[in-house]
Amino acid sequence: MISPEIELSTRMYIEKNKKRQDKFKLVKAVFLDIFFVFYSILVVRRAIYLKFILDLRDLPFSWNEIGIILIISIITGYIWGTSRTSLSCRLFGIAKEDKFTKWTTEIFAWFLFDITFIAGWIVTKISLVGLFSSEGLQGAERIFNSLFQPQMGIFDDALFAMIETIYIALVATLISIPPTLVISFFTARNLMKENKITFAIYYILRIILNFVRSIEPLIWAIIFSVWVGIGPFAGMVALLVHTIASNAKLYSEAIEGIEQGPVEAISATGANKIQIVWYAVVPQIVLPFLSFTIYRWDINVRMATIIGLVGGGGIGTMLMQYQGLARWHEVGLIVLMIAFVVWVMDYISAKIREAIY
Amino acid sequence: MILKVDNLHKIYNNDTHALKGVSFKVEEGEFLVVIGLSGSGKSTLLRCINRLIEPTSGTVNFMGKDIAHIKGEELRKAKAKIGMVFQQFNLIKRRSVLTNVLTGKLGSLGTFESIFEKYSEEVYKEAYNNLETVGISEKANIRADSLSGGQQQRVAIARSLMQNPMLLLADEPVASLDPATSNSIMQYFEKINKERGTTVICNLHFLSLVRRYASRVIALKAGEIIYEGLPGEIDETWFKTIYGEEAEEVEIR
Repeated sequence: MISPEIELSTRMYIEKNKKRQDKFKLVKAVFLDIFFVFYSILVVRRAIYLKFILDLRDLPFSWNEIGIILIISIITGYIWGTSRTSLSCRLFGIAKEDKFTKWTTEIFAWFLFDITFIAGWIVTKISLVGLFSSEGLQGAERIFNSLFQPQMGIFDDALFAMIETIYIALVATLISIPPTLVISFFTARNLMKENKITFAIYYILRIILNFVRSIEPLIWAIIFSVWVGIGPFAGMVALLVHTIASNAKLYSEAIEGIEQGPVEAISATGANKIQIVWYAVVPQIVLPFLSFTIYRWDINVRMATIIGLVGGGGIGTMLMQYQGLARWHEVGLIVLMIAFVVWVMDYISAKIREAIY
Repeated sequence: MILKVDNLHKIYNNDTHALKGVSFKVEEGEFLVVIGLSGSGKSTLLRCINRLIEPTSGTVNFMGKDIAHIKGEELRKAKAKIGMVFQQFNLIKRRSVLTNVLTGKLGSLGTFESIFEKYSEEVYKEAYNNLETVGISEKANIRADSLSGGQQQRVAIARSLMQNPMLLLADEPVASLDPATSNSIMQYFEKINKERGTTVICNLHFLSLVRRYASRVIALKAGEIIYEGLPGEIDETWFKTIYGEEAEEVEIR
């Protein structure tokens, strides 16, 4: 019954697709190889040879040197990758299946891991002497003693600052809900993929959200403390921006993870897009949304504390002031208070989320 | 003639050829059953008819109009005339039975009134009547997910009846139910077919159910129609052709 042309053309299409994918993999593998070679030469030369073995304090830097290393790696990476005996070829599953390739790629992989670890050790300046010298231990004794003998004189002030912090977190979370709701529907792949225009909106919004989210609330707080002035408002706006970006992702993932059955059923009745979302999507996501939001409040209380350190108001700002004055007994009280509140918030939010489900 | 499917092809993701030129006709008032193994293209066929998916090529002539490639408002109008019942019932779990039945009316309601749930008296009456038809009007106000499988499927049937469908599609409506419940659900389809004259196209697995309820049968194998005829004519040889050499018939009573 089926016409032979159609079957033939499908088969050819599949075959062609596979070949194209293979080619694409090889291109990716060559680029990855070039990167691997470049990385290993750079790390061995700068971190291990110049910094550790020659023990230079100021590393000489020249673009010529980088250029030469880059050219060497491009040539090596290209030859290695296209001969299909490289590590990246094996990672993408297009390498030759002989013993030589297996051995060399394995040795190279270990080499990469080792130089990375050694370079990391050198860069972080790991020093066991610093940790256990008598001078260091005295410092530790001083700070721990103060922490366990908190100065109760500032209890009232600290309590007010703490309440301020909790409110900053609460307001940021509450205000974030409506914009997050709206954005999350536009960043859910399953709702936006059908049409080219909506898919473009989805794509652009996702990029913006990823960008906003990749900037930590601490840095947003620095930005807003310049914008609106140091204080609780700057901290709140910083949290708000980050909360919208992160929760929109969680919300839209919840939308993407819904059961498709009800969507099919409602769509089969001839319902329009808005009706489908309202009847088949919304009932499935109300509880996850509520749960994410409560959890986010809990996270925001912790973040609000940190944000205070850069002038976002609340208990964090107070902590910074006493730390600057080296009044460790006051710092001790504040740290204990933060620990207690965070623990209580964590417990409460877990209980509420349990009760919802 | 209510439905005429002609040379229908569906290729998924450019590599799975699910329907390979399917053609058949359905007269008004028929109870057509589609049989075939899992993966033979039965579900794809039904979804191409009510356009939950778009066929790659071919025509679906529903009530004198090709709906295979229409879009937007026109497509919604066509969908509203075709009811569908699913294997997994596909109810809104956290809403009441009544709300679920009312969603069958969405195709003919405005966006505003449906979102604020401002249904008219007649619509409510119709919903209760349809719940009456499937015999669970007393459960109208309880949550849909607290019902048993058979009851949920009856709610799904009531939902599709809200559309006053010209054509009722059923995609393996009894495949997740026990044998006794299966029979009672099939009886509701039979009742709707006989009393309201609604044309039914139903995918089924069990041949005993096919013999009992179908007025005509088509069999799909690997995306092609390999049998078309009366249910009584499916003998041992045809059975082996449709389901493979090793298959054995299982009775369901």
